[in-house]
Amino acid sequence: MSTSYTITLDINRYDPDTKLSWVQTYRVEASAILRFVDVLRKINDEQDPTLAWSSSCEHAQCGSCGVIVNGKPLLACELLVKDGVGQFKTHTFKLKPLTIAPVLRDLVVDLEKAYDRVHKVRPWLIKPASPHPDGDEYRISPKTLETYSEATRCINCFCCAAACISTHHHFLGPNASMANMVRLMDPREMARGERMDILYREDGVYRCHTAKACSFVCPKDIDVSHFLALGKEGRF
Amino acid sequence: MGAALTVDSTLRCDVLIIGAGGAGLRAAAQIGERRPGTRIIALTKVSSPQKSHTTTAQGGMAAVDPKDPMDRPIFHTFDTWKGSDCSADQNVIKKVCDIGWEEVVWLERHGMHFSRTEEGRIAKRPFGGHMLDFGERMAFRACYEADRTGKGIMDTVWAESLKYGVDFIGQCVATELLFRDGQCIGAIIFRYPEGKFLAILAKATIIATGGNTRMYLVSSNCRGNTGDALVLALQAGLPVMDLEAVQFHPTGMVGPGILASEALRGEGAILRNKDEEPFMERYAPTAKDLAPRDLISRAIIQEIREGRGLFHQDHNAHHVWLDLRHLPKEVHEKKIQEVCSFFKRFVGVDPEKDLCPVAPTAHYQMGGIPTNEFGEVQSDSQGIVPGLFACGEVAAASLHGLNRLGTNSLLELITMGRVTGERVVEYLKDATDPEEPPGSRLIVFDQFSTYLNAQGKEKYAQVRDSLRNLMMEKVGIFRTEKSLVEAIEVLTELREMATHIPLGTTSLKANQDLWQIWELNNLITVSMVIAQGALARKESRGAHFREDYPERSDGFNYHTLVYMPQFNEVTFGKRPIDMSIFEAKGEHYELFDYIVREY
Ligand SMILES: Cc1cc2nc3c(=O)[nH]c(=O)nc-3n(C[C@H](O)[C@H](O)[C@H](O)COP(=O)(O)OP(=O)(O)OC[C@H]3O[C@@H](n4cnc5c(N)ncnc54)[C@H](O)[C@@H]3O)c2cc1C
Ligand code: SF4
Repeated sequence: MSTSYTITLDINRYDPDTKLSWVQTYRVEASAILRFVDVLRKINDEQDPTLAWSSSCEHAQCGSCGVIVNGKPLLACELLVKDGVGQFKTHTFKLKPLTIAPVLRDLVVDLEKAYDRVHKVRPWLIKPASPHPDGDEYRISPKTLETYSEATRCINCFCCAAACISTHHHFLGPNASMANMVRLMDPREMARGERMDILYREDGVYRCHTAKACSFVCPKDIDVSHFLALGKEGRF
Repeated sequence: MGAALTVDSTLRCDVLIIGAGGAGLRAAAQIGERRPGTRIIALTKVSSPQKSHTTTAQGGMAAVDPKDPMDRPIFHTFDTWKGSDCSADQNVIKKVCDIGWEEVVWLERHGMHFSRTEEGRIAKRPFGGHMLDFGERMAFRACYEADRTGKGIMDTVWAESLKYGVDFIGQCVATELLFRDGQCIGAIIFRYPEGKFLAILAKATIIATGGNTRMYLVSSNCRGNTGDALVLALQAGLPVMDLEAVQFHPTGMVGPGILASEALRGEGAILRNKDEEPFMERYAPTAKDLAPRDLISRAIIQEIREGRGLFHQDHNAHHVWLDLRHLPKEVHEKKIQEVCSFFKRFVGVDPEKDLCPVAPTAHYQMGGIPTNEFGEVQSDSQGIVPGLFACGEVAAASLHGLNRLGTNSLLELITMGRVTGERVVEYLKDATDPEEPPGSRLIVFDQFSTYLNAQGKEKYAQVRDSLRNLMMEKVGIFRTEKSLVEAIEVLTELREMATHIPLGTTSLKANQDLWQIWELNNLITVSMVIAQGALARKESRGAHFREDYPERSDGFNYHTLVYMPQFNEVTFGKRPIDMSIFEAKGEHYELFDYIVREY
């Protein structure tokens, strides 16, 4: 049998019917290799079926299960109990919902609303380059692709946006800004003017204070601030 | 319980897409492109279409590049026919294989970030069962974006749909289809955040809800893949097809079954048993580690049964090894970066240095809602349901028959998504706004009332876990009459139990418990159809393997149709397998007969 830990979870709760908020404490006997989503499921199964949380793919590819654990935004599916204990050097974990959209219940936030930020940067190719003369795909060298392919890995989990010191005020946020950068660096995008308008608009990239929290918290290990820096420098 | 359940309001649109995943949104983009101004509403259970399960697909999308001097669409067509164990429909295979490359180019021109060759062209990798010259040698046919091809596809069709102004409604489920005089006129949906029912009336409805294998203990599928739309179809008196064909992917990471893509073996990874022997050489001497999935999954279980597997203490599960240690660093870092990170994070092994523990994981449903080659839903082996379409994993046209080749699903989403979108555009020419549906009581109100009023001692987790263990053990990779009869009996009990589970709260707002119990009932219903179909098919074909009937039998050269308007009131039907390539007697037609399947 695997090692297990007795951990304590202090979870921020919110009831949309009564509009009451409170912190509820759960003690869980959890095997070391459980993910935090498994721990939440265990609480539902054994202690409290009303605790609401969110997930979908549960392997860090959809970005539905972002939560704040001991102050750090992360994906609940990615944190194993043993890693949580190791990383935070404690057996007590404070879980709060992400701060980038209204809370629906407990740990579930209205990510649909957060997505409005991403929609604003119009993530499609606004004006695609004319097709290759041979009629098939555009030619893009692996070298060119490599300059921005890391940024295409973003899953819009909004962990970076939750950590960002500017997002909550006047900034579109790191992930949305990076989505615009992808198209600025994509040789197929011809709508450069419009893209730059998005980049430098009032809530654009200059609202970023370069604290680099985004790069530190990104569960996909994307160096988000690097792409924002390229935007500020106009290097694309 | 509080107030009576009611429909809060009614929305109208031209096209309702139930399921904003890869297939649904490819159809949306086609409609947007061909018929600008069409009012489209697309539904998803997750918060954004971008989070649909297509985004987790890893390895690639098959398509024959006309500039490839070696490959030809007929090889791909043949591989798909052979891979299906002679049970896919040849008209559909041909159509999909012929337009595959156009669709790859469509994706690329609309902004997908495919991996590239040194010449800047779309890169391709080998995949299981895809071969040149009718099964002679490995083909390089899978177009990919590193090991996140599905994400590339999802991002592209999602962004295109946004561009065309598709209205997305997230965090909702379609709970019931609406009909008037036999024509589908939309659906009832339930919104999670507010806990409200809405009616959506549409001229055309497309079902594209994806996969359903969450009833298995080990599964690569997302939390919401609970077969909802199959149940919606069954409740409406419509048939479902070939559900007994469940694909187990050979390499799920030990534990929950997170997928380790076939792309790893495409790049050269090797399966090994406890003696580190590359055992696939014994089971498939030519294709080896790139044999089709059903063969490899059975081989792995065989190795484990004969004592050549291993046991993982932490996860309490048997497994074999996947060896990636010999692959170049460059491959680890660039081509299979995501999967390597999954192994590190979820299993705690470093694929560059360690052997990786893997075991089969329930992955894909070949069957689904039967459609013709245009994505029109069928009411029986011939008739169609006006106004109702289906595409993607939930649909069975059928490109895969009883076994799917890797990379053919993403291909299907994009090709059949487009074809279905095209058909809907045609259909809209003469379609008028539907009248209000007749005012009969909604099935979902009865279901929800039952759940909200349940007072039993049963526990959600207990029923869920019993179901998942049962399906894994008795309706999994190997099946027998005895195991299936037992499963059917237990499913009837579980179904009864599931209606007595008391809820933690009877609030309708963001009530996870209520939502999950509705899903659990769907899973039990779909499981029953799988078990019934498996019991009736007394042969082994593709992913359906009966230990008591280990051979394929010509007597079963047809698709299984199952009607189950009430739980376990089953009627069977048959749909013939389309043999149009064989019957046309063109070049190589003899290969499209019921051929022997060896790799
Ligand atoms: C881990 C993994 C890797 C894979 N890799 C590959 C690969 O490399 N190549 C390949 O060809 N195939 C692959 N597949 C298979 C392929 O990805 C899927 O078959 C395909 O993505 C399904 O797409 P879809 O559009 O049909 O459904 P999905 O993308 O799953 O979308 C379904 C949509 O319907 C919504 N929905 C479901 N039920 C309801 C409801 N009741 N009401 C409203 N909305 C609903 C969902 O929320 C979602 O938005 C893989 C599958 C998995 C799980
Ligand atoms: S950049 Fe990273 S942290 Fe931010 S949304 Fe994307 S994946 Fe999440």
